Amino acid sequence: MMSVAEKAKGKKPMKVAIKPWLFLAPHLIIFFIFFLIPSIFGVIVSFTDWDLVGTPEFVGLSNYQEILFNQDSIFYEQLRIGLKNTVLFVIFTVPFCIIVPLLLAAALNAKPKFWKVFQSLFYLPSLFAISAVAILWTMMFNVSFGPINHLLGTDIPWVGIQPYAWITLVVVTVWWVIGGNMIIYQAALNGISKDFYEAADIDGATSIQKFFRITLPAIKGQILYTVVMTTISQFNVYGQPLMVTKGGPNDSTRVLLMYIQQNAFGSGQSIAGMSSALAVILGLCIMVVSAVQFVLLRNKD
Amino acid sequence: MKVSKLASLVIIAGVCLGMLAGCGGGGSSSSSSAKNKKEIVFWNPFTGADSENIKKMINEYNDTNPEYKVKNVAMKEIDMYKKIPTVVSSGKNIPDLNIVHAERIQQYKDSDMLITYDDVLGDYSDIKGENYVEAAWDMGELDGERYGLPLDIHSWGTYYNKELVKKYCPTALDDNIVTFDEIKEAGKKAKADKIAAIGVTWVKPNFLSLLKQNGGQLSENGVDPTLDTPASKDSIGIWRDLYESGITNKDGEDATQIFVSGKSIFLPEGIWAQNTVNEAEFDWGFTNSPQVSDDLSKAVNWSSSHQFVMFKNDERTDEKIQGIMEFIDWLRTNSLEWAKAGQNPASLDIIENEEYQKMPQSLYINDPKERETLTIFEYKYNGYVSEYLETNGFDTVFGKKSIKDFTSGMEKEVKEKIAKDKTNK
Repeated sequence: MMSVAEKAKGKKPMKVAIKPWLFLAPHLIIFFIFFLIPSIFGVIVSFTDWDLVGTPEFVGLSNYQEILFNQDSIFYEQLRIGLKNTVLFVIFTVPFCIIVPLLLAAALNAKPKFWKVFQSLFYLPSLFAISAVAILWTMMFNVSFGPINHLLGTDIPWVGIQPYAWITLVVVTVWWVIGGNMIIYQAALNGISKDFYEAADIDGATSIQKFFRITLPAIKGQILYTVVMTTISQFNVYGQPLMVTKGGPNDSTRVLLMYIQQNAFGSGQSIAGMSSALAVILGLCIMVVSAVQFVLLRNKD
Repeated sequence: MKVSKLASLVIIAGVCLGMLAGCGGGGSSSSSSAKNKKEIVFWNPFTGADSENIKKMINEYNDTNPEYKVKNVAMKEIDMYKKIPTVVSSGKNIPDLNIVHAERIQQYKDSDMLITYDDVLGDYSDIKGENYVEAAWDMGELDGERYGLPLDIHSWGTYYNKELVKKYCPTALDDNIVTFDEIKEAGKKAKADKIAAIGVTWVKPNFLSLLKQNGGQLSENGVDPTLDTPASKDSIGIWRDLYESGITNKDGEDATQIFVSGKSIFLPEGIWAQNTVNEAEFDWGFTNSPQVSDDLSKAVNWSSSHQFVMFKNDERTDEKIQGIMEFIDWLRTNSLEWAKAGQNPASLDIIENEEYQKMPQSLYINDPKERETLTIFEYKYNGYVSEYLETNGFDTVFGKKSIKDFTSGMEKEVKEKIAKDKTNK
């Protein structure tokens, strides 16, 4: 026969189990509907031949085989060009997306005059939609009417030739995403105790020494987080090259997502299976790179 | 205390369920109400300036108190074409009537997504070939069955700066046709004044118009592409040559902007671009797109057509189809508003209209010989050709990609994409 105490004990875990789930539910539901289910569906589609209309035909690994090993296939080329450009984009943009916001956050942390105004100004672009950002910068970089060529006294077709096309994309991207990382760094910088800096001052440390010996180590966790998150989001680059450089010149800024989008939802018959396989490969790349980053940055402890 | 906690949990749960319902169920509930309503759900891609014109036309039609009123659902072209396969294969929320571009009809038909108008056409004796522009009418018929009825035919042409034409090539437009030779001649003279002869614009219509003039075609048998041909090379080569002669806008410059600011003589653009060109402060004219020869019977003006189609939908009743036909028949004689959007209505009824006669684009419809030049490029895999031209056209014209690589790349890409299509097999 069970005692009252035991009964209560047996009930208790139940009660504890429901509550957190209820609080998690809104996020979980969104996660399932808009992330997990479509992802699983995407992986399944990648094993089929499908035009979005008829019945998907199961073709096993043949999409992957064609993309990864058939060197004559345009889809092999798409992966090669698209992935190369995506990786280049990540390499070009991520360092700036970390360093620039970090420097701005450090500067704002010194609380200069009007720092709140500057903070809002720096944060503002991240609220804009990419299409607005792209239109704005396309005008700025316009070869004949753009203020940038006017200021520099040049007539460079910025989006038409390399390396200017990449420079344009990096400028647009960094300007657009500064805000998010900056806010994180600002919060982190605020959390560092003033005592460290006072002690360093007494020992006669320079401000550069203080930055590298105190500030950076103190916000390492936030930097790790932003590096991983920024890398993942830059791997998913689409809007900037689509709207600013249109993938040119000569496909040199055409990123993988542009091919994925065109194959599945282009103006021709959809090639959704192949497109999904490309997307799965991109997803795997992002996972591997994030894992490597995580391990590397963790090991520095 | 406990009660309030419980209440808060209930509220959270309620919100979650509400969100779920909002995500999943919202659409279907509206469709079931639409089923009973006497309403034609009409999807179209008219979201720009033309959205106002189509709204006006629909309101005017609904004011005639038809049995089935039309409900306008406009969405961005790219979104609409993404949604169509999804809704048709899901069987839910399928629109009663849809506008699609004529080139897409065959693809939809081969995927068994459309129904024909054949059963009901007999009741509407005025909806027939003689009453419409031939090129647009023909696109709606496949294998002897009618899947599309045309709303309009929108074509490619040339805008010109009257003052600059007078200055650099006064005789070029005597025959209403400007040839590439005439453009080059004018360019030589205009170069000294830093005036471009012609703007490099949308490659697809420019290239395709030339392809036909040069005797080429997208495909000989309707399936396999014939794009790596001398005609194809010549067609893109003409544009490359214009650029290399230094008589076009520069790479990166906006051709329309250059034209509107009075710095180029000719601008190949669609009839629908009139609103933009109207920003110009000079007197402008509109004529045929640039041609290889000045013989009108050999001229080609790239065109496309917005067509009414009906996607398969079990919920669409016969009475509703009659309602749809009433609407299309009404538009046949009430399409001036659509001409005001800069389009050419496909219905020849418009020729009688004096206001239309004054519109620049009426050039293409008034004269039967001009109508002959309007060419819609009928090819099931037109979409793949477009994709390639969009991504490689400018690079080739501006000398960043060789002509050989351009044509061989196009042939290869289109061929390989076709190989993935099962609707042929």
